[in-house]
Amino acid sequence: MEKVIEINAIEKSFGKTKALNKVSFEVNKGEIVGFIGPNGAGKSTTIRILLGLIKADGGSATLFGKDVWKDAVDIHKRVAYVPGDVNLWPNLTGGQVIDLFLSMRGAKVDKERKEELIKRFEFDPTKKCRAYSKGNRQKVALIAAFSAEADVYIFDEPTAGLDPLQERVFQRCAREVLDKGASVLLSSHILSEVEQLCDRVAIIRQGEIVESGSLVDLRHLTRSQITLKTKEDIHTIDSQDFAHDVTRDKGEIVFQLDSDHLDDFLRFIQPYTVLKLESAPPKLEDLFMRHYESTKGGV
Amino acid sequence: MQTHAQTGRIFRFTLRKEWLKLLLWLIGGAFYVIMGVVAFVEVYGDPLERQAMAMAMQNPAMEALFGRAIGIDNYTIGAMYSHTMTILGFALFAIMSILLVVRNTRSEEEDGILELIQALPTGRLAHTTSAIILLLVTNVLVALISAGLLIGLGDASMSTEGALLTGVIYGMTGLLFGAITLVTAQLSSNARGAMMLAFGALGLSYVFRIIGDSGMEVFSWISPLGLLYNTEPFVNNYWFPVWIALGISLVLIVLALFLKHQRDMGAGLLPDRSGRRHASAFLKTPIGFVVKLVKTPLIVWAVAMVFLGISYGSVIGDVEGLLEGNEVIEQIIAGDPDISMVDQFMAMILGVLAMAATIPSLQVMLRLRGEEKKNRLEKVIAGAHSRLIIFGSFIVLSAIVAIALQILQSLAFGGAAVAMGYDVSLVEIIVAGFAYIPAMYVMIGVAALLIGWLPKLTSLVWLYLGFAFMILYFGGLFDFPEIINGLSPFYHVPQMPIDDWNWIVTLALTGISLVLSVVGYLGYSRRDID
Repeated sequence: MEKVIEINAIEKSFGKTKALNKVSFEVNKGEIVGFIGPNGAGKSTTIRILLGLIKADGGSATLFGKDVWKDAVDIHKRVAYVPGDVNLWPNLTGGQVIDLFLSMRGAKVDKERKEELIKRFEFDPTKKCRAYSKGNRQKVALIAAFSAEADVYIFDEPTAGLDPLQERVFQRCAREVLDKGASVLLSSHILSEVEQLCDRVAIIRQGEIVESGSLVDLRHLTRSQITLKTKEDIHTIDSQDFAHDVTRDKGEIVFQLDSDHLDDFLRFIQPYTVLKLESAPPKLEDLFMRHYESTKGGV
Repeated sequence: MQTHAQTGRIFRFTLRKEWLKLLLWLIGGAFYVIMGVVAFVEVYGDPLERQAMAMAMQNPAMEALFGRAIGIDNYTIGAMYSHTMTILGFALFAIMSILLVVRNTRSEEEDGILELIQALPTGRLAHTTSAIILLLVTNVLVALISAGLLIGLGDASMSTEGALLTGVIYGMTGLLFGAITLVTAQLSSNARGAMMLAFGALGLSYVFRIIGDSGMEVFSWISPLGLLYNTEPFVNNYWFPVWIALGISLVLIVLALFLKHQRDMGAGLLPDRSGRRHASAFLKTPIGFVVKLVKTPLIVWAVAMVFLGISYGSVIGDVEGLLEGNEVIEQIIAGDPDISMVDQFMAMILGVLAMAATIPSLQVMLRLRGEEKKNRLEKVIAGAHSRLIIFGSFIVLSAIVAIALQILQSLAFGGAAVAMGYDVSLVEIIVAGFAYIPAMYVMIGVAALLIGWLPKLTSLVWLYLGFAFMILYFGGLFDFPEIINGLSPFYHVPQMPIDDWNWIVTLALTGISLVLSVVGYLGYSRRDID
């Protein structure tokens, strides 16, 4: 598969603080990759390096096979970017700013596409930017990005400040550009959004990629939540290897099951009379929390 | 060129958002030139009167204010214009350029606008280059307009070459300080820091010029202001300082571009310090909160004012000996032989210092509006504090700052004068400084009124202060009508030590400032917060 974004062991320090430590991942053509991690983990730093806004201390980063720092202008002709915190010139209207951003791409402005997006995002382009709320400023950048025919879209928490309806519009737009063959890198805090949209995720923590792969693969590493009710009382479940965090509530047993020990569990409950058995699939959140908690625990 | 891709487009766009501001600055600059030429041509037509003025000007105190006396032997209108209008004109265009550069470089970078632009297919230096072009265009216009006006309005003594040179040095000062600001914008990671460094350079250059003009000539060549002043338009028309300044500007611009190209977006070359983890008890009080907001610039101002006071104070002692027994001057300028010339200069310098101290006092008051514009105020108002407490905190602190700075700089000024052996009582000078406080309060009151009723036009108070400064600075040179003079609160202040303390003026001005503040508060208490 053709790789459009390739990051190889990049490093970055700000003074004494090491912000990124040998970060590597890649994004293939036509693929959407979620980039998640707690605040200050290095998501935005990585994205800014990708955009040639800041320079990596070591390693290599390329888009379309070109160096992100040296060939920034060429690369940016094919890239659309939306940051999480958009500030605009207070005395210009949103419509003016969108046109400006589009005109800088050198491409002819597709007016229909722009108007359609303005409608879909329910955006009023005639107001001065100083009057816009955070969500509306965000829309300016989103509309400008989606109006552009780019090969790579980079979003850094793009839906911050948008209401849930507009979030959906964003997700639909993202799918549309994917269908056209573009690639997307989506950094986000909203795990459900990443879960719904993304083929693969990369999790960053303290400047290091701690997990990356397809969601399906990653789920194998996690646990499902099992809610079990049996006629008999099962004491022995507490001591089984596959069960974690066992709690009892109104005769129901709730525990975390290692996804790769499903078989052991089924054999174990065979002798009992099962009244209720519910299994909740592992959520990205659980995966994320496991890494997040290990930060706090200092593992 | 990759690094400059799309510069043209960004520049056209910059022009679209900047044209009104620049137009106003250019009109202001043109007005300054017109006022100078017309006033001199009208008022000083008589060569004898000019010659008397020349002699009066030729003393350290006046030179500290206006610049080294030039063309004294043949004090034509042109020489007079060059001598008295140049330094202040420099300051005007330097400030214009500093603000222009910060607004179009570091401010936009700090706001994150540059990040959006640079993520588009634009060159890494396109945004900065566009600001440089704007700086160039603006200052070329300053030069052309000024030269054109001088050629059109000047009398026979104002040669075309001198007019051109005057225009060029105005524009050159703007370009040079703009170039300095381009570099400071790379050094500091925020707009405020970049601006403070640039204004620091301007202040230092002014003080160096004073030191240079008071005898240590080398300093006036180090100072950009002194350097360009040495062109002496209409007197000697030296062009070489222009080329030196142009060379320095180009070097600074190249340096700024080099630094911009090397550094990361959002980073500065000077380190940022980390702050405190907790808010102190004082910070949690309303007034403590305001103090915290304005502390650093105030400290910088205080240091600058002390320097300025000492610089002016240390030249005043020399004046006496120079003037002693010079009856011609005493008759024409002072009119009354009982009044010491030195006292007159001293009164004028105290007035200038009081105006300078008004700037930081006003900044404190205007911060209220600044915080509102940044949407930070709503958090405070939505908290437990009433609008009265917030408005009051800003006014009170602003009033305290006025008093503190007046004491500080009167001490510095008077102390230096006494140390240099001039026979004057320190207490007298401090009292003279105090006499200006009610006038400063009127300025603060005007700011309060604008914040309360016309928040969008708050900056008009700077125009008013500028007007008051013109009246004070040029009042002795031009004959403004009494009614115009009277519009400045500073005009009514008794010029101690020449005049006596005047309770009526003190109480009247204080009363006016109180009324303005209360009316301002009434507006503020009922209007919407932006």
